Amino acid sequence: MMTPTRRRLLAGIPAIAGTAALPFLRVPARAAATPGTLRYGLSAFPPNLSPWENVGAAAGTVKMLLHRSLVGYDKTGTLQGELAQSWSLDAAGAWVFKLRPGAMFHNGEPVTADDVKWTIEQIADAKSTAYMRAQFQEIVSIETPDAMTVRLVTKSPQATLPTWFANYNTFIIWRKSEPRDPIGAGPFTLTAQERGTSVDVTAFDKYYKPGLPKLRAIKFIAYPDESLRAAALRSGDVDMIEYVPWQTMGAIAADPRLRLDAVNGAAFMDVLFNGGKPPFSDPRVRQAVAHAVKRDDIVQTAFYGRGTALEGVPIAAGTPFYNDQLAHGWNYDPAKSKALLAEAGYAQGFQTTLLATAQYDMHKSTAEVVQQYLAAVGIQCELKLPDWSTRVSMGTRGQYDIAIHGVAADNNDPDGLTVVMDTSLSPTHSRSFALKAPRTTAAFAKGRAEFDQARRIAIYNEMQQAALEEVPLVGLAWRSQGFGMDRRVTGFTNLPAALSTSSGSTLEETSFA
Amino acid sequence: MIWIARRVGVSLALIWVVASIVFLALHVVPGDPAELLLSAGGSAPDPATVADLREKLGLDRPLLTQYASFFQGLAHADLGTSLVDDYPVTDEIARRLPRTLELIAAATLLSLLMAIPTGTYAALHRGGLFDRLMSGSAALLLAVPVFVVGTLLVLVLAQTLHIMPAGGYVPWAQSPAQHLVLLVMPALAIAQGLTAVLFRMTRASVLDVLSKDFVRTARAKGIAPARILARHVLRNALTPVLTVLGLHMGALLGGTVLVEYVFNWPGLSTPLLNAVDARDYPMVMGIVLTISTLFLLINLAMDLLYAVLDPRIRTG
Repeated sequence: MMTPTRRRLLAGIPAIAGTAALPFLRVPARAAATPGTLRYGLSAFPPNLSPWENVGAAAGTVKMLLHRSLVGYDKTGTLQGELAQSWSLDAAGAWVFKLRPGAMFHNGEPVTADDVKWTIEQIADAKSTAYMRAQFQEIVSIETPDAMTVRLVTKSPQATLPTWFANYNTFIIWRKSEPRDPIGAGPFTLTAQERGTSVDVTAFDKYYKPGLPKLRAIKFIAYPDESLRAAALRSGDVDMIEYVPWQTMGAIAADPRLRLDAVNGAAFMDVLFNGGKPPFSDPRVRQAVAHAVKRDDIVQTAFYGRGTALEGVPIAAGTPFYNDQLAHGWNYDPAKSKALLAEAGYAQGFQTTLLATAQYDMHKSTAEVVQQYLAAVGIQCELKLPDWSTRVSMGTRGQYDIAIHGVAADNNDPDGLTVVMDTSLSPTHSRSFALKAPRTTAAFAKGRAEFDQARRIAIYNEMQQAALEEVPLVGLAWRSQGFGMDRRVTGFTNLPAALSTSSGSTLEETSFA
Repeated sequence: MIWIARRVGVSLALIWVVASIVFLALHVVPGDPAELLLSAGGSAPDPATVADLREKLGLDRPLLTQYASFFQGLAHADLGTSLVDDYPVTDEIARRLPRTLELIAAATLLSLLMAIPTGTYAALHRGGLFDRLMSGSAALLLAVPVFVVGTLLVLVLAQTLHIMPAGGYVPWAQSPAQHLVLLVMPALAIAQGLTAVLFRMTRASVLDVLSKDFVRTARAKGIAPARILARHVLRNALTPVLTVLGLHMGALLGGTVLVEYVFNWPGLSTPLLNAVDARDYPMVMGIVLTISTLFLLINLAMDLLYAVLDPRIRTG
């Protein structure tokens, strides 16, 4: 009956569809790469760019471009001068830093000892929210004999003080900066920021290293979803990404257009204990947990094979403090585990809870593997998997029996493990709760006060031995950390082990042709 | 008029209830914004630092004081600032809300463009191949979750065929073409379920109207079939379609949460998720209030549209 209309209607469908599609037909699918400008896929949009607060590694990467501190790390992970050209211990035991002549802030002001003094005072201030506040409060006086010299006197000897200034939360800021607009001396300046989406930085033409940075500009684009981040690299939307998801590492390495730069030992998973009540107040029970878990299964399940088993204190292989014998002190040995439980009076095992978070797959998968292996020796765990925020809160308040955690040390010096292993420090979700490990704590203190490398190695062997018995945490697995990039991106280095998150500093030497 | 005023009043009261429930729920669940902000990457903040930050953010005040001060601010149209970076919540919403609305508008437009012609055609050829094919597809589209479609779109269009970017956002002012290209995939993903619903509704509704007496009378009077379809059939058939559209636009707001995340579209959903994660109270409150208000406005707009389409509602 309605023949003409039907025809018209039919003709209309493609017409409508065609009109709708018109704008897209003649448009290149994506913006082409611009030589000299790097598009970098960040794992999270920086919550803020405060030079002293620790708001995560993604923010750290951007901060490392805007600012510089007294020292930094070279490509092998060794300290190198940045705003300081040399540093040494004087006869009185104080650290003396000599500043680099010619370094200037983004506003053209020279970097002086007064700026360094002011920065340290801000970080150590009683009301500061700086990451390194507690350490910097060890500094009792800051002397500036001349404009290019800073002398730091500490309460007690601090062998690792220079590494404090290599952390990406201790940048030197121009002393007259407005609190909301910190002015730094890094290789790039902040040019634009689209909150939640992207950050643009442009090369600073008066940077103190001649010829650097090599890139003209970097555009950081936040891709919180790891699959999309990897997809963006593979489809060419970005030239480089951080935190390559483990399951995608193989595909990126196999792509002829791309390159994977991954290092092992960037961070590790561990078990934490509530040592304030039985049964985990007994070190034998904690040792039993340490011997009960077959680590390779965690590496396979949580990290798709991109990691290694960790059967001791988390000191990365290849560093001078690594001791192969001690590194396997908590080997997988269920018989020994059961014997230890029996010795502690739990021959029949017991019921307990295991806290982790469902928000991050690696935490959840690790918890599930641990749960299975603990059940095999008689420890029945009920899994508790709240969101991350709740997990943090419960951890700090000690509302758990055992917990799974994942963390990176501050740096590759064993002293960097203090934050995760010294249980005499205030309670936090990333350390065991109310657990007593006095010999481990004492060894850390001794190591900090010792300047001789050979003696430090001996002290940290002692620390590992003590920790194997006192078990302030149980190491489970090292995880690999990867950057994926277009093959035309050169000069970027993924720094070794725990320094991987500091690799952003090498973007000053990166070029993109 | 009185009817409208009463409706608005009730809705405002509802928004207050929602805001209060969200406020309480947020504060009752564990999680300390100050601690979370300083614990990024699993690091351990110094408790003294956390306490200082809590004080700085005003989180050490009694809950009732915080509640009162929130609503006091609200009365002055001030939603406060983010606990994370002190950014004004109102500014954040003002910048991101239009993007979410754009996504919803684009998805709705796409759905209507796809569903009404196909639905009408399927109804006119009831039982034909096209009808059976489309009804089957609609059932499939309804069954597949939006994030699956989203991920598939990225896999096929961006990673395999390389004809679309994987996701992201370019402001219109910077490049209108790029902006539209990036809008296509998320809009398609959101439109998917709605298209299926609207297709079914249009088909059923057109079928229903076609069997009405007035259509038969119109035909008997010899009115041109095209005119019958446009003036008598579609006009009557579209009212229930609009009702369904109105009901589903609210749900679209929810659908955008996943889609914006999957396609990295910087709308309102990502900051909401992030704010819940970070326990950024003012940001969560601001966004939830905005979304509740939007729900109300959509419903109101639908009521007005009915009145336009169906004169009986205007006079009744």
